[in-house]
Amino acid sequence: MSIIELKNISHSYGNKVVLQNLSLNIEANRMTCLLGGSGSGKTTILRLIAGLETPQSGQISIEGELVTQSQKIIKPPHMRKLGFIFQDLALWPHFTVYKNIAFGLKERKEKDVKDRVYKILGFFGLQDEAEKFPHQLSGGQQQLVAISRSLILDPKILLMDEPLANLDVKLKRKILEHIKNLKQNFDLTIVYVTHDHKEAFAIADKIVVLNEGKIEQTGSVQQIQNSENEFVKYFIEF
Amino acid sequence: MKRVIFSIALSLVLITVSCTDDSNVVVVYTTVDQVFSEPVLKGFEEVTGIEVRAVYDTEETKSTGILNLLIAEKDNPQCDVFWSGDPLRTIVLKNKDITTPYKSRMADDIDDVFKDPKGHWTGFSARARVLIYNKDLLDPADVPRSVFDLTEEQYRGQVAIANPLFGTTTFQIAALFTILGDKKAKQYLADLKNNDLVIATSNGDVKKRVSKGEIACGLTDTDDAFEAIKEGANVGIVFLDQQGIGTLIMPNTVNLINNAQHPGNGKELIGFLLSKETETTLANSCAQMPLHKGVKVPEGVPSLDNIVPMRIDYGKTAQTLEEIQSYLKEWVEN
Amino acid sequence: MGRKLIEHPFYAIIYGSFVLFIVFPIVYTLGTTFFDGSSLAGNILLLDKDIFLLLVKSCIIAFCIAMLSTIFGTSLGFLLYKTDFPFRSFFKIALLIPLFISPYILAVAWKDFIYVFFNNTDLISSSIGVILVLSFIYTPLSMIITGSGLSNINSHLEEMGLLTTGLRSVVFKIMLPLMKPALLSSFVLVFIFSISNFSVPAFFGVKLFTTEIFIQFSAFYNHSLAILQSAFLVVICLLLLYADRKHLADASFLSIGGKGTSIRKYSLGKGLWLGWFGASFWFLISVIFPFIILFIQSFRGGASKFIQAFDLLKSTFSDSILLAFSGAIITTIVGFTAAYFSETKNRNFFNWLLLFVFAVPSVIFGISLIKFYNHPGLDMIYASYTIILIGYTGKFSFISAKLTANAIKQIPYSLEEAAQIEGIGLYRRLRTIIFPLIMPALFASVVINFIFCLGELGTTIMVYPPGTEIMPIKVFTIMANAPQSLVSSMSLIVFSVTLVVIISLAYFGKKFIRST
Repeated sequence: MSIIELKNISHSYGNKVVLQNLSLNIEANRMTCLLGGSGSGKTTILRLIAGLETPQSGQISIEGELVTQSQKIIKPPHMRKLGFIFQDLALWPHFTVYKNIAFGLKERKEKDVKDRVYKILGFFGLQDEAEKFPHQLSGGQQQLVAISRSLILDPKILLMDEPLANLDVKLKRKILEHIKNLKQNFDLTIVYVTHDHKEAFAIADKIVVLNEGKIEQTGSVQQIQNSENEFVKYFIEF
Repeated sequence: MKRVIFSIALSLVLITVSCTDDSNVVVVYTTVDQVFSEPVLKGFEEVTGIEVRAVYDTEETKSTGILNLLIAEKDNPQCDVFWSGDPLRTIVLKNKDITTPYKSRMADDIDDVFKDPKGHWTGFSARARVLIYNKDLLDPADVPRSVFDLTEEQYRGQVAIANPLFGTTTFQIAALFTILGDKKAKQYLADLKNNDLVIATSNGDVKKRVSKGEIACGLTDTDDAFEAIKEGANVGIVFLDQQGIGTLIMPNTVNLINNAQHPGNGKELIGFLLSKETETTLANSCAQMPLHKGVKVPEGVPSLDNIVPMRIDYGKTAQTLEEIQSYLKEWVEN
Repeated sequence: MGRKLIEHPFYAIIYGSFVLFIVFPIVYTLGTTFFDGSSLAGNILLLDKDIFLLLVKSCIIAFCIAMLSTIFGTSLGFLLYKTDFPFRSFFKIALLIPLFISPYILAVAWKDFIYVFFNNTDLISSSIGVILVLSFIYTPLSMIITGSGLSNINSHLEEMGLLTTGLRSVVFKIMLPLMKPALLSSFVLVFIFSISNFSVPAFFGVKLFTTEIFIQFSAFYNHSLAILQSAFLVVICLLLLYADRKHLADASFLSIGGKGTSIRKYSLGKGLWLGWFGASFWFLISVIFPFIILFIQSFRGGASKFIQAFDLLKSTFSDSILLAFSGAIITTIVGFTAAYFSETKNRNFFNWLLLFVFAVPSVIFGISLIKFYNHPGLDMIYASYTIILIGYTGKFSFISAKLTANAIKQIPYSLEEAAQIEGIGLYRRLRTIIFPLIMPALFASVVINFIFCLGELGTTIMVYPPGTEIMPIKVFTIMANAPQSLVSSMSLIVFSVTLVVIISLAYFGKKFIRST
């Protein structure tokens, strides 16, 4: 069953056309990877789903509800119950780890906020870092804080924009394990953007290969690995 | 990018290179309003071919900016001639050894009361302290005739003077102190304050406020007052105390600066300023009263022959000015 | 330290020149005053309770002006730099207009305006009038600084906030804290400008610390007391900057987003009318009202006075513009140098020197320059426009330093380190990496300092070479006893010249920035 539907989406940045009449369905409780090179439109799709961009034409629905329709945001980003992890993590430098995570919570009681924050910190083993600032953490720790922050509001959908791009191999593997577990532990639909096909093969349930704003192929890991599509074959070879 | 940097560098070089040809110049600092003094100086240039480099004073600094500049430059004067709108500032400079004696033959027929005995300054083209009043607000019968009338109840809140710490207003108050003595003068000032005297920023501001009808009358200089009439304001002018202590007469003064770089040209300029022609020019432009005998003045410009002047010693008045400054500051601020 | 200086000869030259040509004259003047025991002892006795109360009053008024300017400036900055408000470009320049006119002229225009409509000027001839007029004048400065600060925020940080909460929370809890450097810069600059301003309180007859310094200087010729009193102003300004730096010392700053510095713009939507109301209202009261008066006064009797004013001023245009432009370039270079080495190499003393000179009252600075340069061997400086450029450099380099420092803070040092590792030297790194990234801030610095240099009077009046003609000086010397119509006409001409140059700078500057 589709939890996110994009229908006939076209989007440009100035004169540059990024997406052309693209339609895409994201299935619930699955890990869908948007795979493609620079300029393929994968980050744009993520931002459109989040409501951070408005398409020139087309519509987007989440859980059957229309949220975006041709140049109009019907449901603003903070009401879409999404988690988003930016490539540069976008941790607020003036907030501690605790405040970064707690920022979106609307609980009235401080105790309830504390409980929730420390629960999620505990899941990633970051309880001792709660009062530190982002710049005082390692790259991996920052990554986990960004993930924690995106999960605190119990989203149904998690959008991840190349979250492992800046990590070393060992750390990537570690964080990938965490990400794999997220789907089960938090009952999430995850849309994961990457240019690294190995990452996609490691975690995806479904892969969407993009090229210059168009879908080249959609399929399981195996289907993509055995693809007859010239572009897909070329992309996963290198 | 390189073109931009080159253009910037070129501009910097061009702007900092100045014309340093000093061969035939004279440098004059003047506190007389530029609108009046500049034409006279340009006239000197045309007649003699000597380039005049002038520094003028501003409304903001009220004739003290130039003075402080001269004091600061004392050890290496840039100025050759100082042309002042009143003698008191000149005397300050004399007391600080910034001026040097020079008696021009052009001033032979000017009354000695308008000259420094040792020749440090010579007076010409005088202004007077007058009362300017708005004809719409005051009937002729109600117009004050003496400075002492200004303390009367009917003029409460309707009289303005410029800040007495600066300019010719200081001169007038210092003159009153020399004539009345400390006690009476201070009483007079206290009475003025109690009568809600308005203190404006300058003589020009007094003129403006009276012209607009904000204030019924105020003390200012003849050039300001006549300028108001020229601008079409419905104002009248009174030379106060013609039956009493007389009206304060303030000559322009000119002096040669000690160790001036162009003394020869400076003396020539002084001679030109002290000429009857200059007095005629200033009489026409700003109603200044000639001190030379027999200078033709336009209609409407008063003559010293018809005015009872205040009898003061300018040197003593300058000294009084320094003595009362602290008191005046307190008086203004409280 | 000597070895390190030689390491960066460019820095050494700029720093050394500033110290020698600008700081040393002031220190020399202050030193000879303070070490002249007899006058110092006497003058210290004159520093009574009233003087300190006056200082407190001046600080309170400056504080109010700085707060109001920063609040209104930030609001306008948000509207014009972060939303899709139509005619943004027009308002960005139009709202700068009060900066183009001398504060004294605006004070006169405001007073006349109030008189025309209320027949009474008591309200404006007061501390309230001083706060009102100076707030109108300095709000555009705050707008530029805070607008620039808003533009420097990594858009991802805003977007992350938008994903969790509404725009209002994002503005107050994320954007405003992140632009704290800009807010503080705005406050500090406006405070220092306000507390040092003399012409507006003098015109309104409000007794403040600067008018007291002026009286000591000009009525009593008590230079040593004037200088002693000025020292208090300098100390306050230095303390303010110290608090500014201390407060920000531990703040970590954001990096530019991986895809460049795209600025997130917000749609006003239903709030568009509020945007129109805000911008138009401010434009009306800060620009239109005083200009109505200037126009009425100029053209009351026809265009003859305007033509006369043009004739009087036209000879000053080229020199004034060239001087102001040169001053803007020099101050930007000096300010950038101080800011860069402060932010990246922790060499802060140069910044302190810039502030110190900035805080010294114009008349004291002028006297220092005269005493130092008025010697036969230095005529080529003292008797030329160089002395004026020195004045500009002293007065306004601090502003450039502040503006460019905020932009430099946003650049991760890793960008430079990456180039360093490849063997690219400092000057090439500056030219190819740093300058392109902070070009908007450098451009803002040139524009703002151009405006200030073109209108500078306090120091210039003391040092301009005899016989030279510079626009603001000519306006003020002619103003003494010129008819109001002539004065207003001259003000309009000065404004027009400034506006034309600014628009040209904006047009060519934008092209230049895009090309880099």
